[in-house]
Amino acid sequence: MSEGKTALAGVRVIEISSLSGAVCGRALADLGAQVIKLEPEGGEPARRDFPLIPVEGGEESAAWIVYNLGKASVTVDLSSDDGRAAFEALAKTADIVVTDFQRMDIDEMDRLAAIARAVNPALVWCEILPFGRGHAYDRVPATDTTLQALGGHLYQNGDVDRPPVRIGVPVGLIQAGAEASNAALMAYYHALRTGEGQRVDVSVQECVTWTLLNTTMAWQILQLNELRGGAIRKERANQFFTRLVWPCRDGYVVFGPVGGGGGSARVKSYDALLKWMAEDGITADILTSRDWNGDGQFFISQDDYDTVTEVIRKFIETKTLEELTTRAVAERILMAPINGLGDILVNPQHDARDYFQVLHDPARGLDVKLPTNWVRMSETPIHAPRPAPAPGAQTAKYWQDIRKTETAT
Amino acid sequence: MTKGIFDGLKVCDFMWAAAGPITTKQLSDNGATVVKVESSKHPDSIRLGGPFIDNKPGINRSGFFADFHSSKLGMAVDMSHADRLEIIRPLVEWADVVTDSFRPGTMEKWGLGYEDLKQINPRIIVLSSSLHGSTGPWAKHPGYGAQGAALAGIQHMTGWPDRPPATPKGAYSDSVSPRYALSALMAALIHREKTGEGQFVELAQIEATVQLVAPQLLDLQVTGREAQRNGNRKDGAIQHGVYPCAGEERWIVIECETESHWCTLCDLLEDAAGLDAARAAGQDALDAAIAKLTAPQDAFELWDRLRGAGIPAAVAYKGSDLLDDPILEARGHFWPLHHEEMGTLKYNGPAYRFEKTPTVLRTASPRLGEHTEHVMTEILGFSTAEVDRFRTRGLLG
Repeated sequence: MSEGKTALAGVRVIEISSLSGAVCGRALADLGAQVIKLEPEGGEPARRDFPLIPVEGGEESAAWIVYNLGKASVTVDLSSDDGRAAFEALAKTADIVVTDFQRMDIDEMDRLAAIARAVNPALVWCEILPFGRGHAYDRVPATDTTLQALGGHLYQNGDVDRPPVRIGVPVGLIQAGAEASNAALMAYYHALRTGEGQRVDVSVQECVTWTLLNTTMAWQILQLNELRGGAIRKERANQFFTRLVWPCRDGYVVFGPVGGGGGSARVKSYDALLKWMAEDGITADILTSRDWNGDGQFFISQDDYDTVTEVIRKFIETKTLEELTTRAVAERILMAPINGLGDILVNPQHDARDYFQVLHDPARGLDVKLPTNWVRMSETPIHAPRPAPAPGAQTAKYWQDIRKTETAT
Repeated sequence: MTKGIFDGLKVCDFMWAAAGPITTKQLSDNGATVVKVESSKHPDSIRLGGPFIDNKPGINRSGFFADFHSSKLGMAVDMSHADRLEIIRPLVEWADVVTDSFRPGTMEKWGLGYEDLKQINPRIIVLSSSLHGSTGPWAKHPGYGAQGAALAGIQHMTGWPDRPPATPKGAYSDSVSPRYALSALMAALIHREKTGEGQFVELAQIEATVQLVAPQLLDLQVTGREAQRNGNRKDGAIQHGVYPCAGEERWIVIECETESHWCTLCDLLEDAAGLDAARAAGQDALDAAIAKLTAPQDAFELWDRLRGAGIPAAVAYKGSDLLDDPILEARGHFWPLHHEEMGTLKYNGPAYRFEKTPTVLRTASPRLGEHTEHVMTEILGFSTAEVDRFRTRGLLG
């Protein structure tokens, strides 16, 4: 974690955001950029998003706090003439502006982009929109759940006897924010080399479509519409249902013992499982009646698959999460516990890598550990967690900067 | 023609499976020369994952592989051969960036750890992405994105409260981690552009994926509440659900977060009294009442009417719907590309659009070793006779 030089030192980012723009700004701030949030008086609406947690003097959004670490906040009324003049002055000094559709509509984006780009041709204007820009649908209202649906992901999740089910956190918006961070940096890299700024827009729908991995190919090649299956589903364009979630004595593990690709790692994993089962005296013929992960692995009959996995299921049911995890790590079995959130906080792998870092935020009365060490860079480590700003905390400081800029020009 | 952002950037790519190749696809589709190194002894494992063209498995027949390898060059080098560095060393000297997503230790075993690579090319940037990261007790524990999603809490947050977790489609950490890996790689490229200094960038795919539940981890520590999967319910919404429509497996998302949306929805479904009564009776009754009203309706027509009324709604798209979607069509999302063995397929383009330096998916995925000759002669400058001798010695293929 950085005490010294960072990769994006000297890069100035203006952020006018809700959730997704904040995720983008947070990645840039971690990498060393100076990120200045522009907020209305009293703070942006996302400060009150769920889940709310108690902090010194009231409640605040947990999502807002974690995605706004290490930024500065300037309060400004962007609808006023003075506010727009201040924005223009700040935009002259910036390298990147990032914004998102939950914070402002496309017309307001256009107004601000015109101001900023007129005074700073090298500026990167990065905007996150539900469906991207430049077509008849760029104003259709959208939310994270409607975008999980229109990206094709929602349809594939959940039990087949109930409606499709969303992932219960706003993954579309968060992933779009992460995508915007790299797209903005690509455009900045270009500006750095050529002096040419540009607009880059990110579509949340397309970000969700990218989480499917092979669904659009499965339809084109096999005319197969993959269907949700809860714990059991047709995975990797298989023609048969495979079990992915396996109950054990005190929880669930995810595991793919046989069928449907996986290469040599799956072959070795299955051998290691059979060795363990044999130690427990389980040697049913079906387990070795064919090369389950060799030729023909995509064309196993459902009956055969169900028969072999019934034996495996009964074995796994006798084990605890601790037993399964320990053995899986030691013997390279392709299995993992389905972690609750509390499990993530105490995972030994995260501890060994100092993944969680302490956030000391006296203004909010918070001393917590957060998953902030998300990449290791040998020469320019990312920042350790720094508190998220109070609304307008740096307004005075940046106004002085702006006045200096104005005087100089 | 406008050049891509990475025109001139050279990448020696040892990434495999999904998380890695999705990352380097962003480089190749934006103009970088990306040379993917694999071999017939150890091909990329997702060449062995379906869907296969004509439903016949084959090394050059996987649509799963194809989608992540547009615009890349494919080279086949036997990395188990003792003399591999005779080819790989000049490739590293040529490159700006080396990438890998093997189980930690593999590159070191080949003499291609970061310190080795830096000796060969002091300005090199190395991006190494693995499921658990290269250090720690689980570093060498194998796994794919399904395990990654389970460990990162994504499965825990998906499904019904009274049922086991529902595995989200896809190897979920494979789609989250490339976005973060690419940001870090871009930061390293920017730093090198300014200072000339290369570096080693190491990323654990699970650590990137946990970013999605960071707010819930903070919430848990402060309040003691552990967030749980909760079907389609959403805190603070009046109503938020997925409802049946006419036809096979047709579903629509509807959500109301304001009283004004609620009134509009009641009018549009033509049962204000019934819906108000159901709302008063609780969420289960409300979901049942809405489902009864949507069940006979055409999903797309209902979506049109809801959209027209300004209510957030969406058809739950099937795979086939994506390829027919007028929005993705207008966006130019899919790129038809021709492949010698697979014919023409529509590849997924990126989620971003650059106004002045457009992304171009130039070619379909390479067949195994398709560009070996080209890379050896045109990029590395070996003569045809030298290439033949490498072949005879068993280094290529």
